[in-house]
Amino acid sequence: MRNISLIFKQFSRAVLLVAGFAAMGYTAQAQGDATKGEALFKANCTACHKIDVRMTGPALGPTITSETDDKWLTKWIQNNQALIAAKDPKALKIYNEYNQAGMNVFTNLSDGDVANIIAYVREDWKKMQAAPAPGAATGAAAEDSGPSNMVIFGLIGVIVIAFIVILVLNKVIGTLEKLLIKKENLPVEEEEEEEAVKVDRLATVKKIAKNKKLVFFIILCGSLAMGSWAWVTMWNTNVHQGYQPEQPIKYSHELHAGVMKINCQYCHGGAYKSKNASIPSLNVCMNCHKVVKTESPEIHKIYDALGYDPATQKYDSTKAKPIQWVRIHNLPDFAYFNHSQHTKVGGIECQRCHGPIQTMKQVYQYSPLTMKWCIQCHKRTNVNGKGNAYYENLISIHDRIKKGDKITEAEMGGTECGKCHY
Amino acid sequence: MESNKKYWKGIEELNRTPEFVEKNKHEFAEPIPIEEILSGDGLKSKTPRRDFLKALGFGVGAVSLAACQKVPVHKSIPYLIKPEEITPGLANFYVSSYEGSAILVKTREGRPIKIEGNPNDFFGKGGTSAGVQASVLDLYDSSRLKNPLQDGSESGWSQIDSFVKGQLAGIKAGGKKIRIVSSSINSPSTLAVIADFITQYPTAKHINYDAVSYTGIIQANQNSFGKAVLPHYNFDKADIIVSFDADFLGSWISHTEFSRQYMANRAAKALEEKKMSRHIQFESGMSITGSNADVRMPLKPSEEGLAIISLYNALSATTLPGSKKVSDANTDKAITLVAKELLSAKGRALVVSGSNDVATQVLINAINSLLGSYGTTIDLDNPSLQYAGNDAEFVEFANEVKRGEVDAVFFLNANPVYDFYAAKDFTTALAKVKLKVSFAPYNDETAALCNVVAPNSHYLESWGDENAVAGYYTIVQPTINPVYDTRQAEQSLLKWSDNPVKEYYTYIRNNWDKNLLPIAGLSGQSGWETLLQTGFVKAPAKAAGVYTFNRDLNAVAQTILTHSTQVAASGSQLELQIFESPNIGDGKKANNPWLQELPDPVSKVTWDNFAAMSITTAKKIGVEQGDYITITANGYSVDLPVLLQPGQAQGTISVAVGYGRTKAGKVGDKVGQNAYPFHTFRNGTFQTAVAADIKKTGALKYIFAQTQTHHSYEGRSVIHEGTLAQYVKSPASIVGKGEGKENYDLWDEYERPAYNWVMAIDLNACTGCGSCVVACTAENNVPVVGRDEVRNRREMHWIRIDRYYSFNDNGKNVTKEDEIDKLQDLDHVSVTYQPMLCQHCDHAPCETVCPVLATTHSSEGLNQMTYNRCVGTRYCANNCPYKVRRFNWFNYWNDSRFENYVQNEYTELVLNPDVTTRFRGVMEKCSMCVQRIQSGKLKAKLEKRSLKDGEIKMACQQSCPTNAIVFGNLNDPTSEVAKALKSERTYYVLEELNVKPGIGYQAKVRNTTELGA
Repeated sequence: MRNISLIFKQFSRAVLLVAGFAAMGYTAQAQGDATKGEALFKANCTACHKIDVRMTGPALGPTITSETDDKWLTKWIQNNQALIAAKDPKALKIYNEYNQAGMNVFTNLSDGDVANIIAYVREDWKKMQAAPAPGAATGAAAEDSGPSNMVIFGLIGVIVIAFIVILVLNKVIGTLEKLLIKKENLPVEEEEEEEAVKVDRLATVKKIAKNKKLVFFIILCGSLAMGSWAWVTMWNTNVHQGYQPEQPIKYSHELHAGVMKINCQYCHGGAYKSKNASIPSLNVCMNCHKVVKTESPEIHKIYDALGYDPATQKYDSTKAKPIQWVRIHNLPDFAYFNHSQHTKVGGIECQRCHGPIQTMKQVYQYSPLTMKWCIQCHKRTNVNGKGNAYYENLISIHDRIKKGDKITEAEMGGTECGKCHY
Repeated sequence: MESNKKYWKGIEELNRTPEFVEKNKHEFAEPIPIEEILSGDGLKSKTPRRDFLKALGFGVGAVSLAACQKVPVHKSIPYLIKPEEITPGLANFYVSSYEGSAILVKTREGRPIKIEGNPNDFFGKGGTSAGVQASVLDLYDSSRLKNPLQDGSESGWSQIDSFVKGQLAGIKAGGKKIRIVSSSINSPSTLAVIADFITQYPTAKHINYDAVSYTGIIQANQNSFGKAVLPHYNFDKADIIVSFDADFLGSWISHTEFSRQYMANRAAKALEEKKMSRHIQFESGMSITGSNADVRMPLKPSEEGLAIISLYNALSATTLPGSKKVSDANTDKAITLVAKELLSAKGRALVVSGSNDVATQVLINAINSLLGSYGTTIDLDNPSLQYAGNDAEFVEFANEVKRGEVDAVFFLNANPVYDFYAAKDFTTALAKVKLKVSFAPYNDETAALCNVVAPNSHYLESWGDENAVAGYYTIVQPTINPVYDTRQAEQSLLKWSDNPVKEYYTYIRNNWDKNLLPIAGLSGQSGWETLLQTGFVKAPAKAAGVYTFNRDLNAVAQTILTHSTQVAASGSQLELQIFESPNIGDGKKANNPWLQELPDPVSKVTWDNFAAMSITTAKKIGVEQGDYITITANGYSVDLPVLLQPGQAQGTISVAVGYGRTKAGKVGDKVGQNAYPFHTFRNGTFQTAVAADIKKTGALKYIFAQTQTHHSYEGRSVIHEGTLAQYVKSPASIVGKGEGKENYDLWDEYERPAYNWVMAIDLNACTGCGSCVVACTAENNVPVVGRDEVRNRREMHWIRIDRYYSFNDNGKNVTKEDEIDKLQDLDHVSVTYQPMLCQHCDHAPCETVCPVLATTHSSEGLNQMTYNRCVGTRYCANNCPYKVRRFNWFNYWNDSRFENYVQNEYTELVLNPDVTTRFRGVMEKCSMCVQRIQSGKLKAKLEKRSLKDGEIKMACQQSCPTNAIVFGNLNDPTSEVAKALKSERTYYVLEELNVKPGIGYQAKVRNTTELGA
């Protein structure tokens, strides 16, 4: 079985490789160089634009993809003011739609540059549309969350093939038996056949039931199927990847972290200092929401919890009642995890474990949070020891760090039980 | 040189009783019935297969059902408005003060969870006693009063205030007496509040009453030098210490400070200079101090006076009238020799007595004056203010109550109905008092008789200050809002006396601003904030004056001799000595399960007091260990089980006070028997010795929850010790390091590239006090299992202190065969303490046998225990030669059988959130505070610097008042631990097994000479 799954894995890899090359080939056909475009896009456009969401300016993905006149686009991007001044109808339409807030002029961008940007935006938008909905996890982490689909399909394939083989063999054996009987001139038991004709339907079942090999085979298949189902289920017991509970306040990370680009630390300061990332206390919300969106019913939930009266701007602590958020990321009590170790010391981005949090309207558990997942990362991740005197002065790795060697977390003892379980 | 000295933990081990031998064969108290099953009917019967299938079926079914429950939804509730200083997940430390010592309180998310010593504290210098460590648990004690009480039923503060004020107004008008009875108060602000109260109610008077009193010393100093003070002793300046029944390492006055001072002159540092103080103890019961002495002579209470007189005679070369020799020739000889030694160390000597008798203490003063101790080892000018109790004043108060002269009484931290010797009379008389108010946090024996109980807040919820020694002022600051609806007593007194200052906090601020902050040159808000960071102010000490004793001693000697005859037992009587146990103290801490479960340092008994008796005496009256005897004296009698105590003076029994509480709370009730009524009031003080009638009762034998023989080494040698002379001559000879044997390793060497965490424990510094045990319990969420489970050998302490007895015979090695029947020698035993915890062996036998790899080795030299991996085979415990692994027989944290101790919704708040609580069926053991190691390393990483030596401290190490434990990285040759392990005294326990332990012990050195009888 193992061999088969291995073969399947290899096969799937090959397929993936081919698919990857194909995709690369496809992108290569695009007009500009998307990679160059990405850098330019980030440098010049992200202040006002996003590909998928409307910010200060329009969402560029759909806009640029639907606009086919690349020459006009280039002109617009390089000097939109000129177009507006020339009373270009398309330009005026956009200008008015966005409250006549003029876009910056990018005369420094060459035609090639703009082409690159356009290529990047179009490609990225295509990718975004093709990306599966949140919840169906992607990336390396997802692949590790139990036996891969390939293995299961492989198993099913093997079963089907075995079934066919057995059927064929059965047929062959039956034919051979008949031949034998004929050869020895034994009388064919016709009586039974007659009976069988009488109660046609049951007989088939009976006949099948009598075929021990078939029965055995069906039972084998059944138990294999049940077994693999149980295996997968048990592996995923208490793995709540994709867990997305309803929260008491419809807080959107997409808006705050994504669109507004508020730094994670602003609210989750604990993540850089302590083991707990900690949910911000409401006074942090009030820093902005004392004046921002004061009419929203969701914001009023904050006011109610604090006992705050927006009319008088006074707090009444007797009316205060804490908000009970639903905890999404639950590690078992016997596993010690420290945020600051990973963010501040390790320099790991929040998204590495929490996924594209800046695009989540409602937060879900992105990573499986299984021990396997932790260990795998510890085995693959290099210690971020550069510039940290703690690591540089450790005698054991001093020379290696000097040489510029990579040292994985596991080599530092990061996979020992006592690092997390105490 | 391999020592063949015989060490034993208890009489049963010494005599190798059949029960002991049988018990020792098994790792656990009850054997696994494997042989029953494999032999006889077990195999023949037909049921096992079916039973197996049933069990299997049931098991699978039950597990599946249990697995079917929905995953619980966890709520996450952040602060509404987060206090700026709190970061969830990080600990905050606040300075405070407990019993006069500056401490640090560790809080997590606003909950105090651990007490550490303040490294700059005058007394402990960072070390603490077991009591300090355990005090945080009282905060969450569910037996504490949750509301004020009026006439036994719940009430509110406003009702109580109006009731008390109404009553007081009436009493003031009537002009009858008002009394405030408290245990010694040294808080300047509290004393000021009381003074203000007295100004408002001029008939009021404040009485200091200590259940275990030091009036004798205070009064003696008044008589001798005209200074009614408790002196401050300097044990570190004494080269020779002679103590008569003073348990100065266990319970006497400032025992934590004394332990530190004492060891400063005896442990590693002193030994490096090849010197060591000498300590001779004369006492009746075996105390922790006596067990640490170089020479210990058993002495009856009735002969203590004689012995002190003899010593005085020998020192002064005079003879006081009526002097007699003590009955035991050895002791008499010892006194003469001690006198000689003392005289040769004038100015560097100290003689103390634990007696509360004024005359005895006067004579001790005379002796110390002869030795020139005043101004050197005894300081009368910077006196200790820890105890100020006046026994005569309290007895006078009791008489006033009896005569019906008192109309109002306030009890502050005093519980005379339990701990006054004439409690019975007092209780009846108390009914005559119109207004009885108790500030007790519990509805204790006295509070139960009061009209009003106004529960005082715990010190961690209170503002306050303390002044335990002259010139040293510490601040108490709250670290949590009151857990229950309690109020500080001072606040109540302010309210009831209509003080213009409404809040006690303001009162303290005013007092400090005006009187105390200027001592340290501080002032105003910034001065106050500095104080809240440092924790104390200290005025420079005054020069200790030299005092000379020049009173007539004839009358004093007469009083002592009369007292001795009164105490002397006649006929079938035995001399009863009442003492304060180092763990429970005077009984106020009786409701603390951590302290109840902490084994007594010497007897190793938990959860009980007992009648300690020597083996000879027991044989004489025909009793054995566990037999009940009725002790009758002063018209009071109790039944107590007998404990055979080697070293106990013959013809005496010792009983600890502090037990036998009836209204202490869920934990302390009905633990042992009350011994306070055996106190007598003589010559103006409470006396602790009395002649008692003893009768054997027919009751069934009592089984003590005694841990001493729970963990057996199968007679392997684990202790090394030697004499100072031997050490000076050849330091290495003490541990018998000789020609190296060649070792063959079955295991591969582990690599420890970055750190190699090891520990060094100096047996010479360890007094056996048990502070580390409680510190470990608090740090690592070690459960309390209760008396019955301790009896089953299931105590959970990760660190234990093994106490070994050995015979001493002039330093000669005594093998058991020659001495076993000479029971006389059981009076002269040496005691050695050895803290035992997981040795973090490099070749750990436990790791080899674990079938699921739940215990593994780390690259930092730690033996790690992974609870979630453990399936509970207990092979590891079986295979551990040190017997340091503990098995969770129950789900202690969630089992109703244990919720009386600490496992309830309130006391859960004391848990350290960085350490997992262990579930039923898993093994646990010392983790070398891996949570501290990890957080120490993380701190260094966050600050981008290397880890400093000494930055990470183990809980046991941090609490040790004598710095017996050093922890660190052996890979760093400059670390303290590396230096400590280089000592010639270093040896590894069971080194010969080649398990390569990570903990090195420094052998004990005793300063014995020919005196050792």
